[in-house]
Amino acid sequence: MTTTKGTDRRPGPGPLRQALRLGRTEFTLFVRYKTALMYLIMPLILLMPVANMESVPVLGEYTTTDLALVGTIGAIALFLGLGHPSNVFTARREALVLKRLRVSGVPQTAIFGGVFLVVLLFTLLIAALIVGGSMALGGSMPVDPVMLVFSVVLGCSAMTLLGLLVTPFVSNAESAQMLSMVPMMALLFLSGSFIPLEAMPDTLRQVALLLPVAPTVEMAQAAYVGYDVFGGFEGAERVGFLGLWAGALPNIGVMLVWIVGLALLVRRYFVWDPRRP
Amino acid sequence: MPKTANTNAEISAPHTTTEPTVVVRDLRQRYGDFEAVKGVSFEIRPGELFALLGTNGAGKTTTIETLEGFRAPSAGTVRVFGQDPLGQPVGVRERTNAVLQGSGLMEDLSVDETLALARDLAADPREPDEILRLIGLADKRGLRVRQLSGGQKRRLDLGLALLTRPEVLYLDEPTTGMDPEARHETWRIITDLKREGVAVLLTTHYLEEAERLADRLAIMHRGEVHVEGTLGEVLAGWGDRVSFLLPSDVRTDDLPELEGAEVEVQTREQRLWATYTVREGDVADRAHHAVAALMAWAGERGGTLQHLQVRGASLEDVFLRVADGAANLVGE
Repeated sequence: MTTTKGTDRRPGPGPLRQALRLGRTEFTLFVRYKTALMYLIMPLILLMPVANMESVPVLGEYTTTDLALVGTIGAIALFLGLGHPSNVFTARREALVLKRLRVSGVPQTAIFGGVFLVVLLFTLLIAALIVGGSMALGGSMPVDPVMLVFSVVLGCSAMTLLGLLVTPFVSNAESAQMLSMVPMMALLFLSGSFIPLEAMPDTLRQVALLLPVAPTVEMAQAAYVGYDVFGGFEGAERVGFLGLWAGALPNIGVMLVWIVGLALLVRRYFVWDPRRP
Repeated sequence: MPKTANTNAEISAPHTTTEPTVVVRDLRQRYGDFEAVKGVSFEIRPGELFALLGTNGAGKTTTIETLEGFRAPSAGTVRVFGQDPLGQPVGVRERTNAVLQGSGLMEDLSVDETLALARDLAADPREPDEILRLIGLADKRGLRVRQLSGGQKRRLDLGLALLTRPEVLYLDEPTTGMDPEARHETWRIITDLKREGVAVLLTTHYLEEAERLADRLAIMHRGEVHVEGTLGEVLAGWGDRVSFLLPSDVRTDDLPELEGAEVEVQTREQRLWATYTVREGDVADRAHHAVAALMAWAGERGGTLQHLQVRGASLEDVFLRVADGAANLVGE
């Protein structure tokens, strides 16, 4: 056995590579941790009312069913992002797993990055299943797949951070599941996934679009159909690539404000240690 | 690596090993009205093991947590490689590691997966195979962590802490739950680490562990250090004990007075025993002088010292005195 002195130490792998490596382990644990599968099934329940809905054409060849289907993608990030990190990070904090990682030299950003990656991976996976299923039933390819993926990235970032913010308030995984249901349900009803934004009164719709889920739902819908739906479906025009992104800017802005704000709160309030004075 | 880290690394280089890598000065930790740590100071140099002993709630783990960078001191300073460890700056976190009081393992990973993860996250890791041999879990490598016994998990904890080649190691009750064989093996590993120049902070409830491993030690009680020094110094302060059966024709008052010693008479098994505690004088031969004087006294009386026993203090004596002293305070 030899001990390397500080002067001739090799540089570390860096937070990005560490996050990717932790993401791999998060994936293994997610698959082994059976109750996590619940978060994969929950979005499917949302699809049931969509399937029973009367399908009305709204934007060219696109129907209300198409838009509702794409809208559920936003709910997946909500379930997975808020549900999974709050649950496992509370359990791991109590079991000293998080502290063990920290004392072995892994920085906070890598640890949070690992769980973000697993949330993103499974959200993208279900999103791909939804889009694939829609295409198999005669639907079309998303017009702007990049924006669709970007909306998922934004949604997963905000929801993962929100999930991490639940953990300081609870002392075990069960309470984490319970407590995370509160913002989860509130955000679900105001997300546009469950009740279409179109069906909401105008003021409520505007409030919803300032919360961290609805902007991503709207972006996903716009990305799928290629119409500028950011002012509502009514009178929405088919626009080009740049026009679509220009229309999405306010939504991206709202999401970035949430992400930065939540990240600062996590940095300030996240608790690594189960011991309480 | 940032410039500061390089500068500090030079301090711990072998040719200047006299510089301490861990420095704690007047550390205080307060939670609301409760002060868990009340002005603790110590230093640990490369290759040195410092043991922090004490009853539960003495403030040991809080002190370690401060060194690990999880808590800002309420007052006083802590330095590791000359840097403030709060928030684990890169120059500190890559050169330190710890065995926590609890395990901190991911139960659903296998032993192999656990070590592979630690290796991939570390800057300059030891190979998992080397660690498995060292901690004697090579035949358990395919098992899930949840299938390991408490002692085996503890060995894996130690293995993970060694994997990053730390220069400073915090061991919070590292042998809890181990069988005697595993404990001895762990002591051997820790001794090797010291030889390689690792600075070790150890807390333990096994006083034998501290006696075997510690170069210096401190006994904490309720946030304060009551006794500190090398094992020899700590035991010297407690004194040597000479005891014998009090002859039936000798009254307590008739026992001779010895310089630098106190005598006490106790009843055991319905007989009276005299015990001299020798605290002053040269540690090397003070017991000899006391025994010589007592034998001369017995010779003058024409008798012998029956059941004569001479023993140095054990760490347990000192520990119990500190804990008892506190118990008396509670009683008052």
